[in-house]
Amino acid sequence: MKRINFTWDKGILVLLVLTIFVGSFITPYFANASNMSFVIQDIGEFMLMSIPVTFLIIAGEIDLSIGSTVCLSSASIGYSYRHGIPFWFCIIIGLVVGLLCGLINGLLVTKFGLQSLAVTIGTLALFRGLCYVLLGNQPVNQLPSSYTNLGSNAIPHTFFPYVSILILIFGAIGWFTLHYSRIGRWTFAIGINVEAAKFSGIPVARMKLALFMITGLMAGLAGVVYTFRFASASPDGATGYELSVIASVLFGGVSIAGGVGTIWGVMAAVLELGVIRSVLQLSNVSANTLLVVSGGLLLLSVAVPRAIEISRNRRKLVSKS
Amino acid sequence: MQKRLTRVAIAVLAVSALVGVTAPSNAGVKGIKGGLKIAIMPKAVNIGYFTAWDKGATNACKEIGARCTYLGPTQATGAAQVQFINQVIQQKYNVLVISAADQNAIVPALNKAKAAGITIVTSDADVDPTASASRVTSILPAASARIGTAEVDWIAQATGGKGSIAILSAAATAANQNAWIAAMGPYLTSKYPNMSWVGGTVDKSVFYGNDDATTSTQQFDAILAQYPKVAGIISPTTVGVLAAAQEKKAKGATVAVTGLGLPSQMAPYIEDGTIQKVGLWNPIDLGYVAVYAAAEAASGTFSGAVGSTFYAGPTKKAQKTYTVTAGGITYLGDPFTFDKSNIAVFKAIY
Amino acid sequence: MTKYVAKLLNIREIPVLIALLIVLVVTGIANPQFLSRSGAQDLFLGVAVIATLSVGQTFVITMRHVDLSVGSTAGFTAYMIGKESGDHHGLITCLFVALTIGLLVGACNGFMVAYLKLPSLVVTLSSLWIVRGLFNQIAGGNTITDFQVPVSLGYLGRHSFLDVPYIFLIAISLVLFATYVMRNARSARDLYAMGSNPPASALAGIPVARRTFFAFLACGAVSGLGGAILLARFHSADSNSGLGLELNVIAACVVGGVAIAGGVGTPLGALIGALLLQSITLALGALGVSQFWQLAVNGTLLISAISLDRYLSLRVKPTRILRAE
Repeated sequence: MKRINFTWDKGILVLLVLTIFVGSFITPYFANASNMSFVIQDIGEFMLMSIPVTFLIIAGEIDLSIGSTVCLSSASIGYSYRHGIPFWFCIIIGLVVGLLCGLINGLLVTKFGLQSLAVTIGTLALFRGLCYVLLGNQPVNQLPSSYTNLGSNAIPHTFFPYVSILILIFGAIGWFTLHYSRIGRWTFAIGINVEAAKFSGIPVARMKLALFMITGLMAGLAGVVYTFRFASASPDGATGYELSVIASVLFGGVSIAGGVGTIWGVMAAVLELGVIRSVLQLSNVSANTLLVVSGGLLLLSVAVPRAIEISRNRRKLVSKS
Repeated sequence: MQKRLTRVAIAVLAVSALVGVTAPSNAGVKGIKGGLKIAIMPKAVNIGYFTAWDKGATNACKEIGARCTYLGPTQATGAAQVQFINQVIQQKYNVLVISAADQNAIVPALNKAKAAGITIVTSDADVDPTASASRVTSILPAASARIGTAEVDWIAQATGGKGSIAILSAAATAANQNAWIAAMGPYLTSKYPNMSWVGGTVDKSVFYGNDDATTSTQQFDAILAQYPKVAGIISPTTVGVLAAAQEKKAKGATVAVTGLGLPSQMAPYIEDGTIQKVGLWNPIDLGYVAVYAAAEAASGTFSGAVGSTFYAGPTKKAQKTYTVTAGGITYLGDPFTFDKSNIAVFKAIY
Repeated sequence: MTKYVAKLLNIREIPVLIALLIVLVVTGIANPQFLSRSGAQDLFLGVAVIATLSVGQTFVITMRHVDLSVGSTAGFTAYMIGKESGDHHGLITCLFVALTIGLLVGACNGFMVAYLKLPSLVVTLSSLWIVRGLFNQIAGGNTITDFQVPVSLGYLGRHSFLDVPYIFLIAISLVLFATYVMRNARSARDLYAMGSNPPASALAGIPVARRTFFAFLACGAVSGLGGAILLARFHSADSNSGLGLELNVIAACVVGGVAIAGGVGTPLGALIGALLLQSITLALGALGVSQFWQLAVNGTLLISAISLDRYLSLRVKPTRILRAE
């Protein structure tokens, strides 16, 4: 089982390289610095959010409220700034709001014992509702350009947008934590068998609470990035982000059943989806086709490993007899 | 004989193919650069109103000899539109005519497009006034005050100048609608003393239908449920007024309904008396004029400065001149009204 | 007396029913208009679509699966009925279109989950996007309006029998029928076993793949039916129809006692859950809560409802499926 998913992770990397290669030939507009910069910016928030969600899904939970958390974090930044708070402190408020959202989700799941799929549907509504409470129908604009330019511009002398720094830092942290630290091993253990994990002394409830809080914090960070990128805060931002993030994570080879997955597979998957969208869009493929392709790819990501597994089992049976 | 004809035909076709004669034969309009590559971007491609808007834009494109493409997201959000603005930059368009899905979120992207040398004109929905430098001009139907007050006049005519009024709007953050509603409030209080807002003030009387047929229907019912004595409902959005008319007819309600409606969609309800009058500008005109403004700006003959003018029309005889007013906005004129007397004509146009 | 109360509380659906009655009574006192004939009709009309869709979703959730594609399927069906049937076709044509689309989607989902053993969340998320993409492409910018809705279907959406709207009667008949089937038919009861303990049920001889396939098939068919009701109720359809319905349906099921963990709950519970959530939404309006607060309050009450249901379920025995054993 583990072998197959590593194959899919490698498969994603191959797919990524292939897409970039083929894409540069299909359309002349794809493979240049300006477009690549945009693609990375476009997926920046998704990349940041997919790292903690990987941990969460491996541990057997799910969070449908992350889009609303991004919006609430952005709305808090806007609200605070509108009320005269210095912008650097507004950013901190945004991060704290994200953390609190994660805390609420975590408590509902661990202390109240509610199913994360169900309760995060509720927090999805609650957090987005709070965005409307904060901003009403008045989006906030005219944020300090020294900050928001970080959301639009690239690092000088390169084509990498500033969000790449965050992606590299948190990607590295996530990669190391999941695959080389005790926390990572515990995450896998909880996902594979919760009861066994409990009995081996892993503080399951505390771990899950921490995972939800970190997810909230990173969603808060994504909210900061979002606010910079669009130089504004609006109560209807980041709609539908949660399903995209979860789909990206699943596309990256993380099993929804828990216990399986890699960070680099997920990051490659997020990048791959952004690249595919860019290639198709620049080839004038309609947005509707894009939707169908995304759905098809997601399906392939589980069908292909399954097909390999079935054929491997069949070969085993044949070789045994 | 036949063989010869066939050979001639093939030769003509071959030459035509080489010359690329696929575009209509209009050689373009004097003063406007030919062969401009123009992107026409609605808030969302799946909305019927913008299909009409595009029709006007395409007509203009044909007249000036430009290559136009209609492209945009399926969801009317700023984040989605930004992806398409990037496409416009990457595919090296010369001109972008856009209806802003979000008045703030697309501004950084528009600035990038402007830096890449693309001429930008907004049409139907503008960016925030603080960002007016990111586009040459904005083609809007009429001043918010005029559209808002006109709708109040229509509802007053339908209710006989008395009763309480509610508003069924689009999304809570819809800039156009919010501006029109802001104009409605003081106007109703000052001109129609016998009329009032259901919630006391105009701000408390707005229900948000989110430009979604289902939500608008539900909000219409909610208005009737919360304020059974409501005399009139103004719906400044084509989706909302259609849903309101449908639901009014279905429930047999007596509340008066008016707003901004596409004549083709509202015709049945005007003809059978459910609605007395609705109004709208012609989205075809909005698209048409926008393309001309953008093309002239791209050709260097129109600066977009307040007080500058541009013309829209293929020949001197058919041209109409427009002037840029404060904030860089160009107004087309007051909305048309549609009632039993003229609906038959307009429903065939848009 | 306490013995009877305890026995009553044992029924899984009772706590939700009590919550529903509390909401109705409290709001009715604050705003008597809420409990009037038109208020009740608004409730029934508003809940008809979700109630129908939740029947299928209950089948799927009790097996520990989920079907996220119901919204796209329902919306697509609503549009296609309007487009294909035209003004003059009868109910049979509508039903035919609805079931064809629904069964097709359900069969695809069912095949991939039951026989290819792919995870249902992934499969139905993909179908959600694939169906929506195809739907957008076919619909474009068109809107189905009043005059393209088949007259017979439109009639059902606008009229009532003894003051109860027809579409609600259809929904509740479906719910009661499905509840009866789930409680008594052996093949349906297997769904509970599969949700409670998948390995054991396989070992016990339950044809798991076949049951799973038919449950998704039924869910798809019900989604198609839900699309017909959507069109009947709103007399309009466009490429955004049904967007986001799936989360509302899942919420209604969970609140109504159909636990995500599987093995428990009935369509009747889901119906009561849907009534509770819809009455909360209507109540917020009736109580004059500001538009900008409604979503936040709604979310809070949803979380409370889920918590309450969980709390009570820990103190109450699960659905009595098998008679005296």
